[in-house]
Amino acid sequence: MQAHLGDRLAAPTVTASYIYAARYGYSDRVLHNDNQLRIFPGADAAQEPLDQQLWIRPDGSSVEYRDRFGNRVRRVRIVAPHDQLVVASAGRIRLATWAPEPDEATVDEVSDLPDGFDFAFRSPLIDPDGVADVAREVAGDVGSLLAATRATVEWVHREISYRRGATGVTTTAEQVLATGEGVCQDKTHLALGMLRALRIPCRYVSGLLTGQVGETHAWLEVLHPRSGWVAVDPTRGVLFPPASDYIKLAVGRDYSDVPPVSGSFLSRGAATECAAISSVRFADVEAIFDDAIELLSTAYVVRSGA
Amino acid sequence: MTYNEWQGGDGRIRDHYAPLARTVEALGSDELGRRWQDAARQVSLDAFTFYLDPKRFRPTPADWIPRIVPAEHWQRIAAGVAQRLKAINRFLADLYGGGQDIVPDDVLYTSRHFYPEVQGFRPPQGLFVHIYGIDLVHLGDGRYVVLEDNLRIPSGISYQLKTVELASRVVPELAAGYDIAPYAIREAYLQMFRSLCDSPSPACVLLTDGRYGSAFFEHRYLSDLLGIPLVEGADVYVGHDGRVYARTLDGDYAVDLVYRRVEDLELFVPGLREAYLDGRVVLVNGIGTGVGDDKLVFVWVPDMIERYLGEPPVLEQAPSYNLQDGEQRRYVLANLERMVIKARGGYGGSGVFVMPDLGPAYKTRVAHSILENPEMFIAQDTLDFSRHVVLNERNGMLEPRHVDLRVFAIQDADGNVTVFPGGLTRVALAGGRITNNSSGGRCKPTWVIG
Repeated sequence: MQAHLGDRLAAPTVTASYIYAARYGYSDRVLHNDNQLRIFPGADAAQEPLDQQLWIRPDGSSVEYRDRFGNRVRRVRIVAPHDQLVVASAGRIRLATWAPEPDEATVDEVSDLPDGFDFAFRSPLIDPDGVADVAREVAGDVGSLLAATRATVEWVHREISYRRGATGVTTTAEQVLATGEGVCQDKTHLALGMLRALRIPCRYVSGLLTGQVGETHAWLEVLHPRSGWVAVDPTRGVLFPPASDYIKLAVGRDYSDVPPVSGSFLSRGAATECAAISSVRFADVEAIFDDAIELLSTAYVVRSGA
Repeated sequence: MTYNEWQGGDGRIRDHYAPLARTVEALGSDELGRRWQDAARQVSLDAFTFYLDPKRFRPTPADWIPRIVPAEHWQRIAAGVAQRLKAINRFLADLYGGGQDIVPDDVLYTSRHFYPEVQGFRPPQGLFVHIYGIDLVHLGDGRYVVLEDNLRIPSGISYQLKTVELASRVVPELAAGYDIAPYAIREAYLQMFRSLCDSPSPACVLLTDGRYGSAFFEHRYLSDLLGIPLVEGADVYVGHDGRVYARTLDGDYAVDLVYRRVEDLELFVPGLREAYLDGRVVLVNGIGTGVGDDKLVFVWVPDMIERYLGEPPVLEQAPSYNLQDGEQRRYVLANLERMVIKARGGYGGSGVFVMPDLGPAYKTRVAHSILENPEMFIAQDTLDFSRHVVLNERNGMLEPRHVDLRVFAIQDADGNVTVFPGGLTRVALAGGRITNNSSGGRCKPTWVIG
């Protein structure tokens, strides 16, 4: 393991420890619970996982595969009766501390690239036509890929106010534009919709923000003809942040492709609670399951009630 | 031009229908109308039902003019069906046994009916699917094309038997001049059950979801035919020794085989799945078979046949497109007006969009659905499949309707496949191409003739 470290990542790098944990409560016994987990950082030019652990209580049978976007997914089917489910993933990861500055490019260069085909059109939570007017107003005349991206990201960062609780996991880009507020997921959806309306392929990224304890984060990546997928973050208003700002868990067209935990269960009751929390530290913390449980006691309740 | 089973393009009755056409003509439309009424009464008396709504008694709608499959057609059908069932069973054994490389992982593992807990489990004699139903359409001149496979709890074989039986009771004249291929479902099923158990006279039960289930008629009919008790979830339990027991007034007895006609086992009999996976009981069909009839996995069945049997498929299948693939998705969207779009997990005709039969408003909606959730659908070329005639009881006329053919087969523990001659012919509503009973289609008796 140690031998090939650094082969893939250009120096300098930094090592971080992360943990993601979620807890689900149900009003009655669950007979089976079938979920897809997207909580495993993959290896790419910006990050290299060193080790990882996964806890599922109660445990189930599982299979791991890559979805059509290349994300690592573990599908877990729990058939032991239960009324609470805890899922936690933790590990250490090496992150690149700089991001290459992409060179100048035009929108026309990326519009029809095959790599972008999956990320150029409507998706369940994003209808580019619904936000096309504002997209053109903000960056319509700009032929430059970087300038259009910059204008869009800055506009969303400025105009959409950050407010927790105003939106949910099914809020669409259009709704975010209409209400003018939301969280990182919403800002990302709106920016994606506006960029797609300008024929710029771009994708949703689900991950963790380093150096903090809290919820998962969302940002986006724009397709560049030479640099590939480059990151921008409308929530923080940052363009081309260094990889060490984030741990990337999954990419997709929008949130609906990449929820950390998604699935279905069979029960006469309903889901009554769902709490999730994540933490990334640069100290070499050894993550153990008890930490995850303790962390969860301070977690935000993402969804409660029936 | 759409092939007509009954007559050729020149209006001449096809040779194998000539005796039948003469009988129909001799009886005359008034007499036929009376017989159809008699038959309808008999359908109600026998509670020959297919429920769409559990609160409403619904006799199975049927037309009694038989569909005739000539022997040379049947030989191909039977060979193709047997081949498909064998290949799919080999595939499922490999998939759950830990190694297949025919279907991409993400396709299999995103299927709702792939069950991770079955991995590493070897069912009795390595067979997952014992009873198989396959939906075919006839494009004409013996070209039968596969639309889908049914590997979970394929239903309809009692409807096949009952329509033939009722037709021969109510309109016995129709069989004049025909040598109809016989078949013995009872013996074949019981022999298959025995082959799966260690005991020469296994204790078998048929597990039903109850009298309000859509196919309760079939459960009752098969229980009578096979002479095995019909049980609901509450009649069966898993004992402390891990074996399955049935409750009776004379005391409980151990069950060797459960012919289950319910999907969510644990909802009906807690512990039954574990008992099966521990090898304490045989389930017909096994658990996890549904991944094989996922409408997207269908795309790779011809590859399974070539790989496992080393021979080309006998039956063609409807050209199908994987919408997760960018190129194929682009092609389908550009040719949407001639496609059938099916929801991957749908059954009974639900979630099927026959684009040529739908208005332009639908086209945009379906295109959006495909773009938004390409992993949830597959596309197939719309096939111009055959029509047969049905009697319009109001005016005594014979009217054309699209028909399909669901054929049933079983595979026993020695690997032998029995394909039951005939099948269930299902008739689409006027102007439609969806034939499923749960979408309102009628049944027709089906004969294979020598």
